[in-house]
Amino acid sequence: MIERRDPASPPPPPPPPPVAPPIGRVVATEQKPATPHQFHFWTANETSIGIGAIVRVVEPGNGKGETGKVVYGVVTDGFAYSDLATPLHDVVGAEGDPAKAAASPTVRQEIRLWTAAVLRQTPEEPLQPVPLGQVHVATDVDVAQALRMDAYLGGAQPTAIPVGLYTSGGLEAPVYVDADFLLGPEAAHLNISGVSGLATKTSAVEFLLSSIFQHFPPHKGRVAAVCFNVKGPDLCFLDRPGTLDDEDRRRYQRLGVAPEPFQQVRYFAPFKADGVNLNTLRTHPDLVGDVEPLVWGLREVLDYAEVLLNRDDIDAKADAFIDFLADRVVDKEFEDGFGGVHRVVTFADLERLFRSIFDGLELAGRGGGDSWRTHHIATMRKVRNRLANISTRCKGLVTDDGASNDLPWGRFADRTVYVVDVANVDPLGQDLVFARVVSQLRERLERRDLGVDAVVVFVDELNKYAPADGPETYVKKMLLDISERGRYLGLVLFGAEQFRSQVHRRVVGNAGTVVFGRMDADELATPGYQVLSPATKIKLATLPIGELMVRHPHFTQPIFVRFPRPAVLRGRDGVERYPPTADLPFEDAVARQLVKLDRRVRPNQVKDVIADRREEDVRRALAHTRQTRPQDALAHFKKQLGGRVAAAPAAARESVPPLNAISDEPY
Amino acid sequence: MTVPGSWVEAVVAAGAVPASHIPEASLGRGDVEEFIGADPVEGGELRVEPLSDARPLAPAAVCFLDGIEQWRVVGYGGITPIVRAHAAAAIRRRGPDRRLRTVAEATAEVAITRLDRLPAGVRGALEGAGVRVLEFPAEEAGQPARALAAARVEVQKTRTALERRLGEARLRALAAEEWLVVDGVLSDSAALSEHPRALGVVKSHGAQYFEGAELERALTLADGHRTGVFRPKARGARRDIYSWYVRLWPWEGNDLLYGLLRLEARAHPETIALASPIAAWIRAERAPVATPDRRWDRLLYPIHDVETYLRARAPRDLTPLPASRLPRTAS
Repeated sequence: MIERRDPASPPPPPPPPPVAPPIGRVVATEQKPATPHQFHFWTANETSIGIGAIVRVVEPGNGKGETGKVVYGVVTDGFAYSDLATPLHDVVGAEGDPAKAAASPTVRQEIRLWTAAVLRQTPEEPLQPVPLGQVHVATDVDVAQALRMDAYLGGAQPTAIPVGLYTSGGLEAPVYVDADFLLGPEAAHLNISGVSGLATKTSAVEFLLSSIFQHFPPHKGRVAAVCFNVKGPDLCFLDRPGTLDDEDRRRYQRLGVAPEPFQQVRYFAPFKADGVNLNTLRTHPDLVGDVEPLVWGLREVLDYAEVLLNRDDIDAKADAFIDFLADRVVDKEFEDGFGGVHRVVTFADLERLFRSIFDGLELAGRGGGDSWRTHHIATMRKVRNRLANISTRCKGLVTDDGASNDLPWGRFADRTVYVVDVANVDPLGQDLVFARVVSQLRERLERRDLGVDAVVVFVDELNKYAPADGPETYVKKMLLDISERGRYLGLVLFGAEQFRSQVHRRVVGNAGTVVFGRMDADELATPGYQVLSPATKIKLATLPIGELMVRHPHFTQPIFVRFPRPAVLRGRDGVERYPPTADLPFEDAVARQLVKLDRRVRPNQVKDVIADRREEDVRRALAHTRQTRPQDALAHFKKQLGGRVAAAPAAARESVPPLNAISDEPY
Repeated sequence: MTVPGSWVEAVVAAGAVPASHIPEASLGRGDVEEFIGADPVEGGELRVEPLSDARPLAPAAVCFLDGIEQWRVVGYGGITPIVRAHAAAAIRRRGPDRRLRTVAEATAEVAITRLDRLPAGVRGALEGAGVRVLEFPAEEAGQPARALAAARVEVQKTRTALERRLGEARLRALAAEEWLVVDGVLSDSAALSEHPRALGVVKSHGAQYFEGAELERALTLADGHRTGVFRPKARGARRDIYSWYVRLWPWEGNDLLYGLLRLEARAHPETIALASPIAAWIRAERAPVATPDRRWDRLLYPIHDVETYLRARAPRDLTPLPASRLPRTAS
């Protein structure tokens, strides 16, 4: 086992000389020579090595006490053939009967010939072709040497993060990645590809996050993770223990990672359209109390209006008007020019402002005016319609008039996972959530006031958010920005997708660490995989669950590793153990939220209070209570809800004639 | 034993003119051509027996013995050639897993020349080099072509001696159900020719045992048939053995000798009883075919395997290079 060394302790003694017999011998011919980067060796027919195995080649000493060169390689291809000159000769020998061929008294001479790519040579200079020496199976120490892990496993400030177990020929050795190259600043980001349905991608990220949280070096500061749950219940039970078998536990022990679920997880999910039931699969009564609503108002949305508004729709004029609203109107005392004073905080406030402006213009328009503060009425109507559409399409996430509830910006906690569940949210809303959360992370990491020094952002379905082709969306631009500049900030992207070839090149290209699960054969046929040998591709196409191929800046060749099942409850198991409850009636849902805020609240009290009240009033009062978190939640709620007002007939309004009897204005 | 090739440098340094010539005859073994006659022992005259009903012998294990010889003229003392020869023999055993593994092996490196025809300095260098020196007869030492033919005989003797030594040693280690198959005749060795589970497989048919109709019957043997057992007439030091022909492949369309083997076993009534099972067994050894060897129609794959093994281990400088012999300087 590779032990993590205490920097204060003396360096360990050099490894003992290998005693195991060689398993092969390097051969070189004119057709297949040994080079500084590749060599070939043969083994017995019955051998334990296979594709991905790490081997050590030892050059014989010169007889003067000097040891020869040592070369580490990873097996990338294998060949087997016999001394059969042509297949026809086998047919002749068997008289055309395959059964006879199998029964021949002698088995032909066969060879197992392997091709290996050089991982490392010691000494590294001069770089020379691989010597024609004996081949040995790599030991733990060899694996560390071969993968250059010795550079970050020891020393005063080790930065090793266990990623999995290299397993070959009965030998098993932990493989570590370098935190400086996984989470910055030297390199950063991780990209994982693999076919859907095997849970490999999500499981790998869950295990790796757990490993990071347990092994992130103290000198590098505090770390957190923000995970976007974009499908099903995948990430809804990270705080619940999953089922592990003995083999998993043994692997955890070998890797030095405690097999336990995440200790600190905070869940955020928007409401459903009713504004009171959470839009998540984590709604089981035992768990739903941990889920915090994600609700945004006008201010949160307006800053990212670009995400929500179709760029084709928004011209420079509309853009200017949105900027005007954001800079001059929202959250400020504002005089509309028609005698009204507004303080726009919510969408409802904005709508009132629009109505006031349009009414004012119409009244004034009898003289022919159709502009307000240099903005044409058509532009304003267009922006109004688009913004109104947002609160409709993203109802539950975007509140018309309630208070917002957001991630704890500035108060991110160390070793905490923040799960943002947008699995059932409209794609437009998903974009908004992603853009705003990532922007906030970036801005606050720049200002160093997030609460942690590094954040891992896990985004699945990169095919969708950062496609190789398609329009330049705001989300894609953000992902590119993280990929290219995030490592300096500590903003690290862990991206997953089914088809790496269909993700933007700069997003995958900037990932310092690349992980492959089982791959689709069609995907492996794309140019991005040309560097892999046919055998490696075949192995990738048939990779079992729990095995990955890892590329890391310290590894000169991809390495296959096995990782244990994550110690958290898998999504599909979670929904079986904690089945989601059906949506509660409005009254019950409100009561549950108030009970969550204040255990003294009795549901019946809540139902009495909200009986016959308008739902939007209830929602507004509930949002305010949730945001304020008063000691007496019910009293505060009642106060916000106000007294009942008897219905009165509406006063007659002065009618306003339309600007034109038949208007061409399409909005 | 492998003697370092440095003895060649020693004799060249002593005045021998260096040479590098691999005679064509060194690439293969010569056939022994002789007429000795034979007496049928299975019936009154040579018969032909079909093997279709014969149950092949199926030994639990079989050892296959073969040898190789390679030689090169490495120098001349005057016009007397100095030959460096390598002979090797090996036994590879086939067990229940049907794979061949080496169980015995021997090599010999010798220098062959005529010492009294060499300049004194060269002779002294050769004698002091530690290599075993064999001499061809004095009467063959004049004309180099005859000298080389005589040298070749010495090489063959070296090789057959190695084979005989290995084979006789192996007989003592044979298990109860184990056979020893020798590439060539058994009658060179008393021990081999008397052992109940030793079998000689002869591919070359220079020796003539029959005449007339019997000869025609033997040489036109149909595929899947054997001849009756006969006793070759002993000549010289050859021991008494029983022999019979077996056809491995149809010869029609090829040649009379195509696929024709002659088997040798001890001269014992039991051999007659086993002639068909043994012939059927050897015929089953057709597969796998021993291609790409040109003699594949008669060469059993295990024998081919022993040869391959020995050639893979032979000194590289005795292997003919696939290139023309451009003039070389003598320096």
